[in-house]
Amino acid sequence: MSVFKRDKKEEEEGGGNPYQNLDKTIVLQESRYFNQTPVNPRKCCLILTKVLYLLNQGEKFTTQEATEAFFATTKLFQSKDVMLRRMVYLCIKELSGLAQDVIIVTSSLTKDMTGKEDLYRAAAIRALCSITDSTMLQAIERYMKQAIVDKNPAVSSAALVSALHLSSTAPDLVRRWANEAQEAIASDNAMVSYHALGVVAGSRKNDKLSMVKLVTRLGRSPLKSPYALCLLIRLAAQLVEDDDSDSSQSYIEFIECCLRHKSEMVIYEAAHAIVNLRKTTRDLAPAVSVLQLFCGSSKASLRLAGARTLARLTAKHPTAVAACAVDLENLISDSNRSVATLAVTTLLATGAESSVDR
Amino acid sequence: MVHTNTMEGSLFEPTLYIVKGMCILDSDGNRILAKYYDKDVLTTAKEQKAFEKNLFNKTHRANAEIIMLEGLTCVYKSNVDLFFYVMGSSHENELILQSVLNALYESVSILLRRNVEKRVLLENLDAVMLAFDEICDGGVILDSDPGSVVARAALRPDDVPLAEQTVAQVLQSAKEQLKWSLLK
Repeated sequence: MSVFKRDKKEEEEGGGNPYQNLDKTIVLQESRYFNQTPVNPRKCCLILTKVLYLLNQGEKFTTQEATEAFFATTKLFQSKDVMLRRMVYLCIKELSGLAQDVIIVTSSLTKDMTGKEDLYRAAAIRALCSITDSTMLQAIERYMKQAIVDKNPAVSSAALVSALHLSSTAPDLVRRWANEAQEAIASDNAMVSYHALGVVAGSRKNDKLSMVKLVTRLGRSPLKSPYALCLLIRLAAQLVEDDDSDSSQSYIEFIECCLRHKSEMVIYEAAHAIVNLRKTTRDLAPAVSVLQLFCGSSKASLRLAGARTLARLTAKHPTAVAACAVDLENLISDSNRSVATLAVTTLLATGAESSVDR
Repeated sequence: MVHTNTMEGSLFEPTLYIVKGMCILDSDGNRILAKYYDKDVLTTAKEQKAFEKNLFNKTHRANAEIIMLEGLTCVYKSNVDLFFYVMGSSHENELILQSVLNALYESVSILLRRNVEKRVLLENLDAVMLAFDEICDGGVILDSDPGSVVARAALRPDDVPLAEQTVAQVLQSAKEQLKWSLLK
């Protein structure tokens, strides 16, 4: 126990935390060390970590300070150390919003993005897209298209997610990458397929007909990725909500199918969609029984998810929720307060005199 | 960016921008690392820290996994002297948020060789920062598989596999683990 006591004391004095009481001016002075050759990766990494730590703690950097730190960081591109390079990318991203003339690293990043080292490529793409503006995007367009269909999932995901971020500033340009993204939906990698679906759906947001085509096609040969499936359920649910005709029946069938998926995330997503879409109590039965099961789960997030969706149902179909009264009553004394509160309010809204006694 | 909750109804919004924030706090509720991704939610450092204090006060005693606070759904998990949180909109699939928290916790746990405590985390702060960056990019879940997150973030070239560690290193880590198992 004596070991512990000493540790505890050290911590109280701040000795346990090398990042406590860091001074911004001193750290910025230390970043001048980046100019030295050869680069000492360990030492430089530590200084970069300090800079990032200060930014993360909410320390304010003036434009001049940020620009100085940024330019010092760019000197580190001469090192081949993987860890250091990755920290440099991270610093570039964090400082890009604060410093001036950040586009100076474009050529270094483009080189890394098209290089051989996969670990560099993915991170370089993300850093590059955080500094480029729409005028410079055209210069890297060719590389982005290639990266989207790259066989390395990290590279492909990095390009797709960056495309998604860029679509808010340069939607027309990114729309031209939709063909590559479409191809990537079929990827075996769960995340790539998810990100690709996000990009494609984003590019068709205002084109209902092509959205219908997309959802219909993917609904027939369901995706493997649980995240992508959740997104597809949301897209399908949106189409149902916009369209009251019988043609939306196929989407409902697809969503109901997802109630039998093996991932809880997908099952809940489907149940939530059905509860919010279905018009009669009878149609709701399969979804409600899934939510009922969730209420009895040992995981608090499942209980909360189940109780919350049931609570929302009370406004529309109180009778459907009344059937779950016993399950909700069990949640009144739940160890999780959010769950207990939800259960109580739901029961108060639906409860009959008979249940008050119990 | 498509950050805001524009959807009127109660369906989930079809967006990839799901994570509003992630943070790791110490046993006093102080921030070790935190990132907020939505430009409309908790924008200033002051607001963020106030939120973190509130979140910590509500969660550090009750190990209840999930809480709804200030319009956000927060899932959390703690170990020894560290608290891990993932925040999302209150109109979000809780189980997706839970999967992000699992990815964060497991990745950090592997990076720290299962010594999930503040001192070890601070010694490896750079790798943990990279893991943060590999899990979530601007609010989009980039990767949720701890194995591949660690493969992308743990790059220390002199990190030796367990078999090649010196006796002293192994003893040290065994001592640490014993210490905490006694204290629990």
